[in-house]
Amino acid sequence: MESVAEIMIRFKLNRKSIVVDVPPHWTLLRLLREKLDLTGTKEGCGIGECGACTVLVDGIPLHSCLLLAPKVEGKSVQTVEGLGSRGSLHPLQKSFVDHGAVQCGFCTPGILMSAKALLNGNTHPSKEEVKEAISGHLCRCTGYQQIIEAIEAINKDVRG
Amino acid sequence: MIPSFDYKTPKTLQEACHLLWEACGKAKVIAGGTDLVIGLRNGDQNPQLLMDITNLKELRGIEESYGTLSIGAAVSHSEIASSPLVRQYGNVLSDAASEIGSPQIRNLGTIGGNIVNASPAADTLPPLLVLDATGKVASQEGEREVPVAQLIKGPYETTLQPHEILVRITFKKLPKNMKGCFVRLARREAMAIARMSVALLIQMQEGQVKDIRIAPGAVLPTPQRLEEVEEFLKGRFPDVELLRVASRKVSETMIRRSGIRPSTSYKAPVVEALFVRAMRMALEE
Repeated sequence: MESVAEIMIRFKLNRKSIVVDVPPHWTLLRLLREKLDLTGTKEGCGIGECGACTVLVDGIPLHSCLLLAPKVEGKSVQTVEGLGSRGSLHPLQKSFVDHGAVQCGFCTPGILMSAKALLNGNTHPSKEEVKEAISGHLCRCTGYQQIIEAIEAINKDVRG
Repeated sequence: MIPSFDYKTPKTLQEACHLLWEACGKAKVIAGGTDLVIGLRNGDQNPQLLMDITNLKELRGIEESYGTLSIGAAVSHSEIASSPLVRQYGNVLSDAASEIGSPQIRNLGTIGGNIVNASPAADTLPPLLVLDATGKVASQEGEREVPVAQLIKGPYETTLQPHEILVRITFKKLPKNMKGCFVRLARREAMAIARMSVALLIQMQEGQVKDIRIAPGAVLPTPQRLEEVEEFLKGRFPDVELLRVASRKVSETMIRRSGIRPSTSYKAPVVEALFVRAMRMALEE
């Protein structure tokens, strides 16, 4: 394995400041999963077509499989691990569970992040706005209806 | 796996041009990376150095001056789609930008990247052509202004030299009575490459076509205006019959310029219908 000059990057990850060395050809997805042990974000296709790798960078949903890791220098990254956890679910996560919006669960982390971004900017999105927000996500299990209902059902302010 | 490379983030455009010049063709410029990272992954691209130009101030921002709008090459499709300036003075472009890929792709991909990737199905190119947009290209040797139409040589091929950077895209603000329309056909509503599109600008005067600009997308090897159809329509009253005849000219021009292909029996009637749909939408505005 050839040695490659690593780049040191400083950024905020789930509200915590961190400093890591990373080879510049690593994507953010690979950095999260292989170096930072945050395996909640998934690789579904690796080419930005399924949305499973979606994270928030400065509050904006991006495909982490297409984002080269050095590009998060100075930015704030939020992954599904920063949303909530077992025993302390985010209202979105609870709503997904309550509405049967999770089957295999592989697409779920990515969709949660897009939903979070939507609700950060728009506390009462219409059905069309929900569909638009998740249009960059593929789900092979649910048929999307339960996912849309789960997001529409959030009727409190979950910004942050 | 993505092969390794050196990665630099120049602080100024001058530094970027210098680095590119020194790299002698072995460097590639990266903004969002939505096309380039895929190319790195599948081996289509293998640069020794990647130069990140996303935050160079000359490539950022949407600015207006007396008669023109100028968009930085590193401005994302999301920014263009939601820009009040582009929606007011160049809506054919903001409409197209709003339909690219998905929210995530639009948040990361840039207009400069869309142009320089030069896909025959690129969604910003037909709008830029009907807007008569020009691109500012910078290098160690200086700057030049080039019509966007002349930036594209062929499928996935530009006329940019390896040491050149596309910096800004500029077009004249559309007058209020010039209506723009962009229609797009794809297999899905989102996250699907355009199978066919039509970008249109039309200006009417006393019921007649005063000015019209037409550029189809994803049906020709390079982005092109359909001058024959534009000339045919000028000075005429666009009734149902005229639109039908004009749409025939659109498909005939497409076939003449790109040859008869296996998809022609599908694409010919569909491009006719898409053109008529675009005309109706623009005329109803």
